[in-house]
Amino acid sequence: MNIVVCVKQIIDPEIPTEQFRLDPASKRQIRGGLSLVISAYDQNALEVALQLREKVGGKITALGLGEPEAQGAVKSAMGMGVDAGVLVSDPALAGSDSFGVAHVLARAIQKVGMPDLVLTGCVSGDTGNKMVGPLLAEELGLPCLTFVSRIEFKDERVVARRIVEDGYERVEGPLPLVASIISDDSNVPRYSKLKDIMAAARKTVPVLKAADLGVDMTRVGSAGRRLLLRDAIIPQRESRCELVPGDTPAEQGERLALRLRELKVL
Amino acid sequence: MAPFRELYWNISAHWLIYPLFLPFAAAFVYGCYRVVRTIWSGQPEIGIPPVARMLRDLLTQAVLQSRLLEERVAGGIHAAVSWGFGILFIATCLVAAQDYFGIPTLRGPFYLYFMSLSVDLFGLAAIPAVCAALYRRYAGRPARLWKPRDTEGYGLFLWLLLAVLISGFVVEGLRIAATRDPWGAWSPGGWLVALGLTRLSADQQAMWHRAIWWGHAVLAFWFIGLVPFTLIRHILAAPVNIALRRHEPSGVIQPAALEEAEHFGISAIRGFQRKDLLDLVACTECGRCQDACPAWQTGKPLTPKGLVLDLRDHLAREAAGKPTGKAMVGGVVSEETLWACTTCGGCHHACPVFIEPIPKIIHMRRYLVMEEARFPEPMQAAMRGLENRGHPYQGAVPARTDWAKGLDVPVLSERGAAEYLYWVGCAAAFDERTQKVARALVRILRAAGVDYAILGDEERCTGDVARRIGHEFLFQMHAQANIETLNRYDVKKIVTACPHCYNTIKNEYPQFGGRYEVTHHSELIARLLREERVRPVKPLGKRVAYHDSCYLGRHNGIYAPPRDILRGIPGVHPVEFERRGERGFCCGAGGGMMWFEERIGKRVNIERTEEALRLRPHAVGTACPFCLSMFEDGIRAKDATDELQAMDVAELVAAAL
Amino acid sequence: MMVDVLVVLDAQGALPSRNALEVLGAAQRLADGSRGKVKAAVLGGPVEGLAAGLFEVGADQVLWLEDPLLVDPLPEAVVAALVGVVPQTSAHVILMADDSRGREVAPRLAHRLRAGLVTEVIGVSAEESSVRFRRQGYGGRCVFELEATQFPVVGTVKLRTMEPARQSPGKGKEEVRMSIGLDPLRVRTRVLGKVAEEVRGVRLENARVVVSGGRGLKGPEPFRGLEDLAQVLRGAVGATRAATDAGWVPLSWQVGQTGKSVSPELYIAVGISGAIQHLAGMSGSKTIVAINSDPDAPIFKVAHLGVVGDFRAVLPSFTATVKSLADR
Repeated sequence: MNIVVCVKQIIDPEIPTEQFRLDPASKRQIRGGLSLVISAYDQNALEVALQLREKVGGKITALGLGEPEAQGAVKSAMGMGVDAGVLVSDPALAGSDSFGVAHVLARAIQKVGMPDLVLTGCVSGDTGNKMVGPLLAEELGLPCLTFVSRIEFKDERVVARRIVEDGYERVEGPLPLVASIISDDSNVPRYSKLKDIMAAARKTVPVLKAADLGVDMTRVGSAGRRLLLRDAIIPQRESRCELVPGDTPAEQGERLALRLRELKVL
Repeated sequence: MAPFRELYWNISAHWLIYPLFLPFAAAFVYGCYRVVRTIWSGQPEIGIPPVARMLRDLLTQAVLQSRLLEERVAGGIHAAVSWGFGILFIATCLVAAQDYFGIPTLRGPFYLYFMSLSVDLFGLAAIPAVCAALYRRYAGRPARLWKPRDTEGYGLFLWLLLAVLISGFVVEGLRIAATRDPWGAWSPGGWLVALGLTRLSADQQAMWHRAIWWGHAVLAFWFIGLVPFTLIRHILAAPVNIALRRHEPSGVIQPAALEEAEHFGISAIRGFQRKDLLDLVACTECGRCQDACPAWQTGKPLTPKGLVLDLRDHLAREAAGKPTGKAMVGGVVSEETLWACTTCGGCHHACPVFIEPIPKIIHMRRYLVMEEARFPEPMQAAMRGLENRGHPYQGAVPARTDWAKGLDVPVLSERGAAEYLYWVGCAAAFDERTQKVARALVRILRAAGVDYAILGDEERCTGDVARRIGHEFLFQMHAQANIETLNRYDVKKIVTACPHCYNTIKNEYPQFGGRYEVTHHSELIARLLREERVRPVKPLGKRVAYHDSCYLGRHNGIYAPPRDILRGIPGVHPVEFERRGERGFCCGAGGGMMWFEERIGKRVNIERTEEALRLRPHAVGTACPFCLSMFEDGIRAKDATDELQAMDVAELVAAAL
Repeated sequence: MMVDVLVVLDAQGALPSRNALEVLGAAQRLADGSRGKVKAAVLGGPVEGLAAGLFEVGADQVLWLEDPLLVDPLPEAVVAALVGVVPQTSAHVILMADDSRGREVAPRLAHRLRAGLVTEVIGVSAEESSVRFRRQGYGGRCVFELEATQFPVVGTVKLRTMEPARQSPGKGKEEVRMSIGLDPLRVRTRVLGKVAEEVRGVRLENARVVVSGGRGLKGPEPFRGLEDLAQVLRGAVGATRAATDAGWVPLSWQVGQTGKSVSPELYIAVGISGAIQHLAGMSGSKTIVAINSDPDAPIFKVAHLGVVGDFRAVLPSFTATVKSLADR
């Protein structure tokens, strides 16, 4: 089963609040000295792909889209064990919205060769958007399964567990399809073997440009956005946290309850 | 006339001993050859220490057996048996010296004082010692001799040795009786035996003498022939192992060249160096390492003795061409065993023949981590933290300098230079409890007027946890980055409150070209107290039990300064743990175990906390952030937060200022 | 500008659900000020009494979208249906709840309509010649303001964040039944079965009180203490991604960026450091209490009341005191 996993490189989100800063002009996060990582749910998607390959064989390609540094994300994916990596990087694509991103990814997937399964993370680790998976399905004309984990391949069809409000559904669909992956205890991303990391570091990742893919330029870049980004603000939190005193934790627990009663919350 | 003894009295055709000895000698040689060949199947690079050092080690440990004698009873038994054996063996050789070279060893005062008296006394001491050994092993059955599995390696020997000793005295007694030896009393053992033989006629005595003489020879030859095939091989292997022992401190791990490596870590027995395989062969199965191991003592499957035995048996089978098909890592040595080690070094410091289990464990961990990427989840998370953020803590964490807010702590990038670089370490930066230690230390430094600065955001984890877990690659990356930063500022002196940082920067960074004068904060504070640059005046009124951190104490020999500090604080009444100093019991956090959830057996820190509670102190004094964390956790788990506190020595001093 | 809004709702009983009211609230905000219309498209078919309820909260028109495939529908069916319906309504903005279906329907619908798209909306306003939307970004660390000048725009409303619709009778009371006629072959995926995770007591997204546990609990057992507390408070138990990824509790207990969005009266965070992705799911709670042994944990920056201490020691006495207060 051939699989393409879309990987996005983002600034490490596990940082102290003070280190999060926005550039007022571009409205994007300033990198500073922070590290770049693969978006968390994309890592889960890679793990799902690797587990599937262990069961049914096939080839996994990691597809990245971003600045030239995003090569690091693709190499990181190769270090986890995917067979091949491709990066699409082109200054003309900067500022694209999710429609543009999905369009470019779809073109790249068609260029690389339509796989049986396209995986993405369910949520983007920085913007928090959940759109690229379903948009990709539309671009490629494929069926879609969102917020799934535990993908299995049964009788030529894909079966998965889809998380819903009060539990989960067992869903299935035909190949080829697009799936967006949510994390659970079955797809904790594996640690990379050092040999694979070092081998990946030595490889060169092919970089594709918009022109190589036949991208519709009206749909990408800042100009191609359907909604305009007017502002980005970091909300100031005025509330001070009132710390409940006490000589012992037990006393603190008691005082907390009494305070909540005082505030008429309890 | 001059005292003498007739050589080979009553033994005609004594030349027969040579053909009699031949098969046993051949067996001995063949056995030794096999053992050496097995050891030789490992990787080359045995470093040979300087001759003077080897001789000194042999003298103190193989002859005088000083480490063995740290256990009075067992050591005493072994000393009596081994010296007895040794002296008697030398005596026999000296007899041969007279036979071949005519050196008059059986003549004159030398004959009386040495060959008769001394030899007999040593032999007489050996007999009850052997009996005591037999009793201890088979009646007493101490756990360390019989666990993790029954060993029958010594039974035969002890009986054999007893038979040899007794038959030797009987032969001597028969000769004394039959020849009416005028100097018989100089051999008290034989003389006593002779007293009991008066009932026999001279002919009978001579006949028995001949028979038992040959019997004694056979027993002795049998003993020799068996040496390489049984645990008694340690009489040869142990001295060699002692002479060739590595002299680095026990907390130092050797680097591995990773760039061109085909494979990482060691996954097959032949991957070990020859010295490591010699270690396996030299093991006497005494079990002292096991008694010292905090993992074993709390119910984990790890025992250094078991590890060595398993590897040794595996080596033997592999060398004999009879592999079981079990993988060394995961099969012969289980992964749970490997992940239970805190690298405390108790085993290193207990072993009388200086076997080193820790490097072997680290090599196998390197295989699991770097080659297979198969290691416990929380450690993976710590490694990811190291890769992405330069520290092993996860989740939402403060910035590296948050602990210093409002304290006006000088940062090297602004200052440019300072006498001391205070290496803060990740625990003091990111762990809320440890931040208090950093603040206390800074107060002390300021009060004493010490010129210092911190690296602040330029500090990265020293990489200690990565190296202990087996991720040598990540360690080297961090070491190189830190050394580059330190050298850029031309740092000469470093003070740190963390023994792990201390050990790594002082003993391991030189492997990559980083050489600095590293001081532990307890050493510095002790000096400041002595020089009265800091004066604690408030009496604290506390009984404080000082807990020796493995990385400060056992691995780096720093035991006195924290105790000096405690004595220097008014109102502090120091109390000692029973397991202290070089025999201190680990807190459980070393070797990467801070990032491991112990699920088997009892948690190591609970064991140590219980030991502390039994002393009924007000506080446990620590000099290590890991130990501090472990005690805090243990005290909470035992619900003893009202009875016991854990405090770093710096906090105690600061509280008294 | 005058903004006409089409709201897409499930047919879930005779009364509009809480989710529906929140979506209608957003619609109200856009339509009222701009004198636009609110049309409610209900998937599945006429439900006795529902229309009246919808009119009361500002719907001008109720469209019953009838098709067997629209009963408990798959996202693909909803998209297919709406693609035909939306152009007929000439709505500027199409709103739906950001739930497990809306997350998939909205992007796909926007793509097929060549419309704009904004998800997890936390604020809307009609401007002179545009519509502005606010949503969180970077896991909740910042708020983006987006502007649409071309229409239609499809949006999903972040649940438990916006005010539900007020009583405000609409200008019309029209009900239209639309027979959709979906081709079953167009729906390519299937639901084989459903497993409802046991909900003891109150549902998490509707609970007045939520007691949540995170990485600091170090295992599944301590969650029992939280369940006891939740029971006393008549609330629900939530968890962070760390806890659900470790398999300690079911995924449906997750509060946060990929879990549920909640805004209870009282949110008690136990052993939760306050990673931004979690805060994104609960920062709208009225009163936030944090219990954590680390005084530097980010949760204390958003909490109203905090206890710095070990939850294992704090919680039992807290629970006991709460119980005794309840008994009085």
